[in-house]
Amino acid sequence: MHKFVWAGVATLALAGLAGPAMAAGAVIGQVKTVAGQAFVLRDGGRVAARPGDAVQEKDVLETGADGAIGVTFIDNSVFSSGPNSQVSLEEFSFDSSNFKGAMTSEVRRGTLTVVSGDIARSTPGSMKVKTPTAIMGVRGTTFAVQVKP
Amino acid sequence: MRRGLILLGALLALAACQQTPAPRQALFVVLPGDDGHIGAITVNDGKREILLDRPYAASESRGGVTAPVQTSEVEVRQVFGAALAARPILPVHFRLYFQTGSDRLTPESDAAYRAVFDDIRRRPVYQVEVVGHTDTTGVAARNQDLSQQRAASMRDRLVRDGIAAGAITTAGRGELDQAVPTARGVDEPRNRRVEVTVR
Repeated sequence: MHKFVWAGVATLALAGLAGPAMAAGAVIGQVKTVAGQAFVLRDGGRVAARPGDAVQEKDVLETGADGAIGVTFIDNSVFSSGPNSQVSLEEFSFDSSNFKGAMTSEVRRGTLTVVSGDIARSTPGSMKVKTPTAIMGVRGTTFAVQVKP
Repeated sequence: MRRGLILLGALLALAACQQTPAPRQALFVVLPGDDGHIGAITVNDGKREILLDRPYAASESRGGVTAPVQTSEVEVRQVFGAALAARPILPVHFRLYFQTGSDRLTPESDAAYRAVFDDIRRRPVYQVEVVGHTDTTGVAARNQDLSQQRAASMRDRLVRDGIAAGAITTAGRGELDQAVPTARGVDEPRNRRVEVTVR
């Protein structure tokens, strides 16, 4: 266990030397479900996603030809994507004491289904989903988007 | 049979020639909510904004133009089936109530605790948020402490029952967020509570 942790620290240190310092991004959600090939893209890296992994602002969720991924955010919004998808979590802010916040994500390709949470409910107009052809404003709650490559 | 197929193929080719729609670039669909609550989205392509506010109301983008389109439960299942299958168990919210000036649950909420525990356990990975509150009787500073004690006692019980401590966050809001707004000094049972979010 200790060896494992130290290996992780060493890897982080090397990553820090090799490129820009890893952003200490705030945790905005958690990977809940994974099927097939699913990844989290962060700071130029690409890591296989596992249930329980933390999700940060600016992460990109990506799935392969047989992949799917589900994420629940700290405002209780729920995202899930099917195969060949790429969804960028561009902007996320949330104050759990008054449930206000803002969330902008972008579906670059593939599918995304959403159940919106506290941000969309408490702050009208503050949850947006961008696509290459149009921007969605979310009043709530359950919807789906497909973007063809 | 073969002649029929050739004829059908010719008709399809003819239909394709006459219409030649640009390929679909994007599809936007409102889905029925699990709680029966009907949602709404707007879709704005820079030229106009379309409001979709019924289950299966949809619009699509073709050739850079976004317009309303018919869709169906069958098509949604085809296009979004894998995404919907990956949808996490939705977050659930609970309220449990306490005895006056105490971090002991009321008998009813003591029984309801089981539902919170069971909901956490059905999730492969979970996070639990516990926020304590008080009524407005007594001193505000003391109520801040009491609200934190209520959240902590809930966390401790969950941990004793096997829930991972690292997955639970607690906070106390004192008398700041009343479920039932009252004047100061009001003994309101519905304000003596923890709000528990399981996701």
